[in-house]
Amino acid sequence: MVQPSEHAHRTLELARAEAEGFGHRYLGPEHLVLGVQRHGDNGASEVLTSFGVDLVAARTALGHLADRGVVPGPRPSDAELLESLGIDLAAIRRTTEQSFGAVAVGWAIREATRARRRGVGRVPRTPLRDPPMLIGQVLYHAGERARALGLGVVGPELLLWGVVADIQTPRPRCMNNRWRRQLHASVGLAEGYRGAARLLLVELGVDLDQLREAVMDELGGVQR
Amino acid sequence: MGEVASSEVTKVAAATSSQDPEVGLAAVAALRGLVEVLEALQVENARAKGWSWRQIAARLGVTKQAVHHKYAGRRFGFRR
Repeated sequence: MVQPSEHAHRTLELARAEAEGFGHRYLGPEHLVLGVQRHGDNGASEVLTSFGVDLVAARTALGHLADRGVVPGPRPSDAELLESLGIDLAAIRRTTEQSFGAVAVGWAIREATRARRRGVGRVPRTPLRDPPMLIGQVLYHAGERARALGLGVVGPELLLWGVVADIQTPRPRCMNNRWRRQLHASVGLAEGYRGAARLLLVELGVDLDQLREAVMDELGGVQR
Repeated sequence: MGEVASSEVTKVAAATSSQDPEVGLAAVAALRGLVEVLEALQVENARAKGWSWRQIAARLGVTKQAVHHKYAGRRFGFRR
């Protein structure tokens, strides 16, 4: 089982922070690029820097994509939306966990959001869970590469590899289903969204084939 | 950039009272997401305490068939 390294965890945290900074209520591959650069202390960041991509430029480019409607503009968080209705999400989370326990709440969240026949009573997401991570394919490609290289952990370099591989690989048809479309719509993503990392990197003037080769070279080095 | 976006978010949240459907509907969707989880928790709790589907349906204000249709296929009993 391939696990994310400490640096990869930190990169994901920073990517989440970047997404929140833009008022995005999901985590996409485009935020991972920003997370890698914000982390800085990794080979992937060095590769991106060698392509002229720094954090400020990447943020500006993502801002341009938001202006063009490729990614959503800033949206209020679930906590802010519920507060506008007079509901304190933090208080509800606290009291339900005190009454039923974290395990029971986790179970109820899975039950309310999991696939079921005819979708009765199903919601694409719930405010009681973190914003959705739409980087499943990135993690899949990163894990596959780690296995191929005989690595036990996925670092930021492999995450960047995953982003590039995701861009250059057609997504499986199973990724396009009603539940996913509902999930995307619920966070304000345009129909047909499948990650904005390609447009972000193109906006930054990065040649994807060269980036792929540079990341592959970097992966020959040390995984942090 | 982050600070600018945050202040915009606060502005959007404050605009809820302006009856903007974009924000108002998102608020309702968030509420529904919350309610579905709370309902699942309470129904599971009631079943664990031996309540019948009929009793649960009566408290929820729906028919027995409706609550059974919604919850019967679920994997109750995570505590066991």
